[in-house]
Amino acid sequence: MPELLLPGLMMILGAALVPVLPHMLRQVWMLVLIAASAYQCWHIDPGVHLTTSVIGFDLILVRAEAITRPFALVFHIAAALNVIYAMHEDARMTAATGLAYAGAAIAALFAGDFITLFIYWELTAFTSVFIILAGRNPRSFSAAMRYLLTQVTSGVILLAGAVVLVGSGSSTAITALSVETLGGALVLLAFAIKAAFPFVNGWLQDAYPEASVTGTVILSAFTTKLAIYMLALCFAGTHMLIWFGVVMTLFPVFFAVIENDLRRVLAFSLNNQLGFMVVGIGIGTELALNGTVAHAFAHIIYKSLLFMSMGAVLYRTGTVKASELGGLWKRMPLTTLFCIIGAVSISSFPLFSGFVTKSLTIGSAAYEGYFWVWVALIFASAGVLEHSGIKIPYFAFFGHDRGFKVREAPFSMLVAMGIAAGLCVAIGVAPEMLYALLPYEVTYKVWDAGHVLGELQLLLFAVLAFAFLMLRGLYPPEIDSTVLNTDWLFRRLLPAIWRMLAAPVMRLWRAVTGTAARQIAASVGRGTHVSRTNYLISGTATIGAAAGLFLAVFALLLALRYMM
Amino acid sequence: MSDGEETGAKMTPLARGAVGVLVVACAVVTALEFVIHRHAYFETEGRPLFFAIYGFAAFLIVVGGGVLLRKLVMRAPDYYDAGEDGDA
Repeated sequence: MPELLLPGLMMILGAALVPVLPHMLRQVWMLVLIAASAYQCWHIDPGVHLTTSVIGFDLILVRAEAITRPFALVFHIAAALNVIYAMHEDARMTAATGLAYAGAAIAALFAGDFITLFIYWELTAFTSVFIILAGRNPRSFSAAMRYLLTQVTSGVILLAGAVVLVGSGSSTAITALSVETLGGALVLLAFAIKAAFPFVNGWLQDAYPEASVTGTVILSAFTTKLAIYMLALCFAGTHMLIWFGVVMTLFPVFFAVIENDLRRVLAFSLNNQLGFMVVGIGIGTELALNGTVAHAFAHIIYKSLLFMSMGAVLYRTGTVKASELGGLWKRMPLTTLFCIIGAVSISSFPLFSGFVTKSLTIGSAAYEGYFWVWVALIFASAGVLEHSGIKIPYFAFFGHDRGFKVREAPFSMLVAMGIAAGLCVAIGVAPEMLYALLPYEVTYKVWDAGHVLGELQLLLFAVLAFAFLMLRGLYPPEIDSTVLNTDWLFRRLLPAIWRMLAAPVMRLWRAVTGTAARQIAASVGRGTHVSRTNYLISGTATIGAAAGLFLAVFALLLALRYMM
Repeated sequence: MSDGEETGAKMTPLARGAVGVLVVACAVVTALEFVIHRHAYFETEGRPLFFAIYGFAAFLIVVGGGVLLRKLVMRAPDYYDAGEDGDA
């Protein structure tokens, strides 16, 4: 009766012991917990298994759908890879929060109602923020705070959606929703934030590359794919998602061309891959949903592999800036090989995992007659090749030799990358193993000779275009810079508007606090600290304003619900 | 920041050597076009060498689009570091 234990809970609770265990015992403990959790989740069949009632709400604590098993399996694989990859380091906080984060994401997969989901949704946010903080520098601290605000906002919008759904007579059970209702729209918005939809994607490229070497690998697997999973459960066949997905596949490829930080390039690439999955959900047919699930499964592994390879480069050289790297293949040959396997996998070369999974989604668009969607997805495939297939391995390992005298990556990193690379090849060569896990029978002929030929022509001639640009000296050089993304709207534009609108109030506030501070200082006979006071007030203004606005909206929603 | 903008990235000798292999591979998949039948869902897809031409053109557009985008969104490396959110 494995369903009587809450899935993921043993990993969440077991994480509490991680900081106090000796190094080797800690690694064994984490791997045993993950293996036990995987065993438990594997034996949970589709259906409702555990319910309870709390203050009048019927909670479905354990429920599985046809797509739950493949997501749970790959989440456990990712968690195990993370542990192995990080065995060389003694980062106890990252290890503990990483394990709890993975456990929370796995638990969320089995949540059957929005209240239960909200709890795990927020738990993924609170556990993962420590992984970003482990970057241990002012930039990572700032990014972590922005990340936390975004993720918590998503959670509260999810809760608001649940409240509105209950108010309109629906249950809180996670089921197919309509975006034409307020409750459905709020739930979609909550999922959209975590899935990094256009204009709410900036947190991904902002926060993930600021984490530690191992932290970024952990982050890449869970949050966004949990959102994809929930979108597939609640909004399959919602056609507007097709176009959101198309935009997601397209815009990141242009940003990735000019981004210099190779981990940030991978974050843009992650966004692009999510777009393919969202398109599949929007199309909503059996073939398309199979494509989304299969793509998510393969993507988690090859994206982890790519982040691991760049993490190894960062660990050894101290940088992942393309403008500072090159020629590492001689020093790090195995890392180079594993990176190339990740690169050809994400680029969908035949015999690698991306080909046998992404083809299902693109094939479903063609099969349903979505010509322009199909054109866009093919275009985006060439874009994927550009940034992840060529740019990452070329500029890190084969570009101009920068003379790094470094050693190969640590053994534990190589083992984790080797396992991930092996899985990329295994799925690509024998996709039947993965297809057997999918929710519907796979009838698509992925090995059709014409299909394989078309894919090879697309990719090889795209590589030829790269060679042409390089030989002619037309490929843009890598430049150390900041590439503005949609987070600029929240980091610069909105604060500027806020300062403009709030200036009169702030002047009054400063006048009052300044006068009070001077009077207090005069009464105690010490110097004033007006500037420090103002700094503290203004330093928290943005976050405070956002939180205040958010709570006001939430309170309004609650009030509306009880007035109706 | 602007120094590197004047010239494009350079290709290493190793990569130059790989270009020969690439050209042969492209020639092979081009020749196979006339041997293997490609099932097409759309009329455009069925045209000879559609994927080869589209792959080549799409790559150029992606890179060209990136170059144009750089003029719009590229800032100094420390753009956000000074006065984050305008608060400090």
